[in-house]
Amino acid sequence: MKGELALDLEAAGGARGEVRYAGDGVRPAEVEEWRQVAAATGAADRAAAEAGVRLAYRLAGLAEPERVEWAGSPREATARVLASAQAELGASVRDVVRTRPWAAERAALHEGLGRAAWGERWGLTGGRLWDTTHALAERIRTGVVEALAETPQDEPAVRLALLDVVLGQHDAPWLAAFAGTGERLAGIAAVARSAGWWWPYEKVAIIAERPVELHRDEAGRLDRGDGPALAFPDGFALYAWRGMPVPATFLDGLSDLTPERIRKEENAELRRVMLEFYGYDRYLDESGAKPLHRDETGVLWRIDLENDEPVVMVEVVNSTPEPDGTCRTYWLRVPPRTRTAREGVAWTFGLGEEVYAPVRET
Amino acid sequence: MYRQGDVLMVPIEEAALPEHVSGLPEEPRDARGRMVLALGEVTGHAHAVVGAGALRRETGAFGPALLHLPDGGRVVHEEHAAISLPKGWYRVVRQREYVPGSVRLVAD
Repeated sequence: MKGELALDLEAAGGARGEVRYAGDGVRPAEVEEWRQVAAATGAADRAAAEAGVRLAYRLAGLAEPERVEWAGSPREATARVLASAQAELGASVRDVVRTRPWAAERAALHEGLGRAAWGERWGLTGGRLWDTTHALAERIRTGVVEALAETPQDEPAVRLALLDVVLGQHDAPWLAAFAGTGERLAGIAAVARSAGWWWPYEKVAIIAERPVELHRDEAGRLDRGDGPALAFPDGFALYAWRGMPVPATFLDGLSDLTPERIRKEENAELRRVMLEFYGYDRYLDESGAKPLHRDETGVLWRIDLENDEPVVMVEVVNSTPEPDGTCRTYWLRVPPRTRTAREGVAWTFGLGEEVYAPVRET
Repeated sequence: MYRQGDVLMVPIEEAALPEHVSGLPEEPRDARGRMVLALGEVTGHAHAVVGAGALRRETGAFGPALLHLPDGGRVVHEEHAAISLPKGWYRVVRQREYVPGSVRLVAD
């Protein structure tokens, strides 16, 4: 692996002596593949996933499950677990199939690399994928609980059924960190590459399909304005705007928003979504807002809201023209105390107004 | 200082660098041999530097990343014009946005 990195560096024109790389044993292309696994959508490769499940059982020293079932989503799989008698499924074997080999792999790596190098390896592999993947899995869990628990008293049972799950594609961060090591996780890795969440029980394994729709913004948050941000083939879906969960019906109302309706919305978070969806530029224009300040870095705007802190934004023009020759304008929200456009732009980079002075911008 | 989209590169005098910087591990380059300053989660578009040098992650006043370009270099991005950087050390900062109650990184 070091050889590959050295080749890359030669290709990049870098000549160097002995240097310690955080990347020893890490292949960026492999991390990228796991990133794609975590975000994969579309029909599962059922044959590969089932073979992976059976391999995982065998590697754990168990008999293969008597049968493998498929569900259209984590919601349907969880519902099936809840509706099934324990005798029908057998006991959960998650601990044997997933947790123990996982812990053994982690301990071996930890010991082999040492604590510092293991920390570096995590930072360059799983750590890169963790936040967005973990947040997505948590959001799905929350969605399943909301969908299946009719009353708060039902929630513990749903959460218990979710404790038996192996996360399939959403185990990608850890599998990226383990990449290139022992074979004891080969079954789990094969399922992750081919399908979504799965529930291993003694007699039956239930595998859920992957989403058919997954829409996220550049920060990795669920984000879609004209439909579900996450949807599974059986219709289980989650709606979100820039990461904020919203009701499905909320999006229907976004197409005919008016500044008046935005002003009247009492929920501050929903109002923020409305404002972003409506467009700050349109809202500023139609509400007759006046700029607070203008200089060569941009324009500072302010929108006063009832029972909420004001929205203060800098309007910045991208220096590189778009293909059609226009320059994209964008708005960045800055702290309400901001008094000048330069102060606002400088704040977005963590700098004081007096030191922010780019000599070149593109 | 230089700005390409949501990434700012602020020159630092070598004499001002903390001593432990030379001991920080270097970030590996991407499959194309580039130092990636910031990566878009969805598009995969990257602010990346081509050329000799090293990128070191750093926490605290000099972070989140330090870029050393002994011969200078070029910052490239799929949607922005390239920027030539003179040789030296740079602090690399990603743009952020104010959210009541928290601060989030800008999605460029």
